[in-house]
Amino acid sequence: MRQATRHFARLPLLALVATLSACDYLRLLRPSVLEQAEPPVVALVNKLPDVDRPNEAVIARIYATGGLTHAAVGEDGVMRDEIWARPLQLIWTPAIIVMPKGGELELTVHNPGKSRHAAYLPNNGGHMLLELPPGTSGRARIELDEPGFYWFGCPVANHFGRNMFGFILVEGDVPMEARLDRPPQPLPPED
Amino acid sequence: MLRSAFAATLVCTLAMAGCIELERFPTTRDAVLMDELNGRLAGSAPPVVADVDFQRIKNARGEPHNWLTYYGAYDGQRYSTLNQVDSSNVRRLRPAWVFQAGLIGLQASPAAYAFEATPIVVDGVMFTTGPEGHVWALDASTGDMLWHYQRAIPLDVPLCCGNINRGVAVAEGKVFYVTPNGYLIALDAKSGKAVWEKVFVNVRAGESATLAPLVVKDLVIVGSSGAEYGVRGHIDAFDITTGERRWRRYNVPKTGEPGSETWEGDSWARGGGTAWITGTYDPELDLLYWGTGNPGPNFDGSVREGANLYTNSIVALRPDSGDMLWYYQMTPHDVWDYDGVNENILFEQDGRKLLAHFDKNGYLYILDRRNGELQRAVEFGQTTWGEVDPQTGAVEAKLVPTEEGTEICPGPAGAKEWNHASYSRKTGLLYVPVINQCAVFRTDDAEFYLSLPYWGGGASLSDDQQSGHVKAFDPRSGLEVWSWDSDYPMVGSLLSTAGNLVFAGEPTGEFSAFDAISGEKLWSFQTGSGIHSSPITYSVDGKQYIAVHSGWGGWIKGFSPQLYGAPRGDALMVFALPE
Repeated sequence: MRQATRHFARLPLLALVATLSACDYLRLLRPSVLEQAEPPVVALVNKLPDVDRPNEAVIARIYATGGLTHAAVGEDGVMRDEIWARPLQLIWTPAIIVMPKGGELELTVHNPGKSRHAAYLPNNGGHMLLELPPGTSGRARIELDEPGFYWFGCPVANHFGRNMFGFILVEGDVPMEARLDRPPQPLPPED
Repeated sequence: MLRSAFAATLVCTLAMAGCIELERFPTTRDAVLMDELNGRLAGSAPPVVADVDFQRIKNARGEPHNWLTYYGAYDGQRYSTLNQVDSSNVRRLRPAWVFQAGLIGLQASPAAYAFEATPIVVDGVMFTTGPEGHVWALDASTGDMLWHYQRAIPLDVPLCCGNINRGVAVAEGKVFYVTPNGYLIALDAKSGKAVWEKVFVNVRAGESATLAPLVVKDLVIVGSSGAEYGVRGHIDAFDITTGERRWRRYNVPKTGEPGSETWEGDSWARGGGTAWITGTYDPELDLLYWGTGNPGPNFDGSVREGANLYTNSIVALRPDSGDMLWYYQMTPHDVWDYDGVNENILFEQDGRKLLAHFDKNGYLYILDRRNGELQRAVEFGQTTWGEVDPQTGAVEAKLVPTEEGTEICPGPAGAKEWNHASYSRKTGLLYVPVINQCAVFRTDDAEFYLSLPYWGGGASLSDDQQSGHVKAFDPRSGLEVWSWDSDYPMVGSLLSTAGNLVFAGEPTGEFSAFDAISGEKLWSFQTGSGIHSSPITYSVDGKQYIAVHSGWGGWIKGFSPQLYGAPRGDALMVFALPE
């Protein structure tokens, strides 16, 4: 009985551990992050709130990325993801879309706020425009075949310049037949 | 226990703090192509390219109203028999129409983008390109846009010098061009839609692509860029119809191959020798003539002792196989970045089949193009780097880059950049845009890492000690016939016509016409941005037009630093005589 009580008493602790393991904040404690936490970096991070939103000093916002999302690959091979024009924030959420390979991305974009927005998107063939009146959602099907990163933004009234821009990262590598015939070459040293 | 529960709640709250519930709506809207929002876009072009084939390109001179291939004809002469505009009426030349590309987007640097293309014209339809993967089909008499295609180009493409493109090739109903990240793309010439695409470079190794493809027989032929990144340069040929690669030829041999003895150790693997300017072709000899770029690293030759074949060379290749029949190396063991990519102009003289090549090293080479034997080498620019024997071509290097820095002429852009010379069949003269400049060349330890610049030093130009010329040379005597002097380096290609004219774009934006015999400047028009491209001429319904891209940029620090801050642009200017 006493043992059972002890197990029961541990439950909140287990719940806490489970919660913490999924917590983004705690993941900052991993060694690869901590080793970058030199005093100048910490000072920089502490200053970021000064520039990641409009305030008395700045209109633009820097470093407010809006987060990152991984597009899911559907059974039809098309990748799908969704992002939002965050109300009252002039920021895409998420703002970085990772495509695991080159191909087609079906992107759903929501505009729940009261401002008009649009998504100006890279696409093989020509840029695409998705108009997003307040309180609407729309869909864009874009094709990006080559690995690398591309930019997208809101072209309405320079929302782009006020940080309503984001990136699409396409993962992948150059096919073997396009690579140079030579022995492996040294990669740049890690910083 | 209570404390634990409280802690758990607190952590959960913190963990959720970053999550914001955002509303979804039924999707009621679809994205549209920006081009669909251009009410004036026709959306398709007449099927003028359907019957453009090897025979027609071979006989391009038989249809002077068109500009069917990069140099106007396979011979690279950049000469037109059109003569409606001539030295007596050119002063009346005025703009017929202007096409504004209006390029927007994130730019790596103000200098990175330039408008460098050579338009192609087929029966009243013009095909041309801009940076960032743009291709346009335009009505050649009005400038109206027929279709537009843009490949999405990643931002993280390694570029040697500029985000630029030099134009398209057309044949068999298709338009071919390359993207900065090395895709060769075949578009349907009527609709502008992609038909096939093949990647031929590795951006992760620092390679890129800038040149206009060349169609020969059933092949479309391209070359790589990026010798500043320690790559191994190559020329590739693809099947016009399927896009299948038929051959690749490396310009730097690997261990055991002929020429590999001119490389120290495994330095060949980073040896450069790219092929970023379109070749020329002699159908009778069935030989392709292609220039090859500088060795890597550019300035520190100590890690690659030897002549470094086949960099800084003209290679004569069989188009069917890529096999090399002969080569001529202008600058063995180059340590000045004098790559030999410049055009090879094919012309006849007293029944002899000759080739003229104005090299960056400041010498004009006249070769027998059957076998590569030197006929004559003539100094056409300011040179202190060394001497080339006019009869044998033997090179004596005199000044080389040093750790402390040595002033050497010409600078790294050469006495002539890639911009093309012209040969007039009417006057029998060669016309060349010339750069007068010197630079302080320095060496530095060349440390190689994949995809990072591999210069092994650098070259600094002074901002105010440069000038330029348009010069005319008689290939028989090698003598200079006339020279027009400019306060700035001349970095635009030349065009000569049967109207006794030579057209030249100036870095300050003037587009000018010169008397082909006297060199007198007869006409000039300020286009608003520097010209670093290649003018052409064509006619529609009997009316002659002259077209040139105006849009300053590219490697300005290398060829004209005093104009680094000059206005950029992206206009295609087209001129004609008034009705």
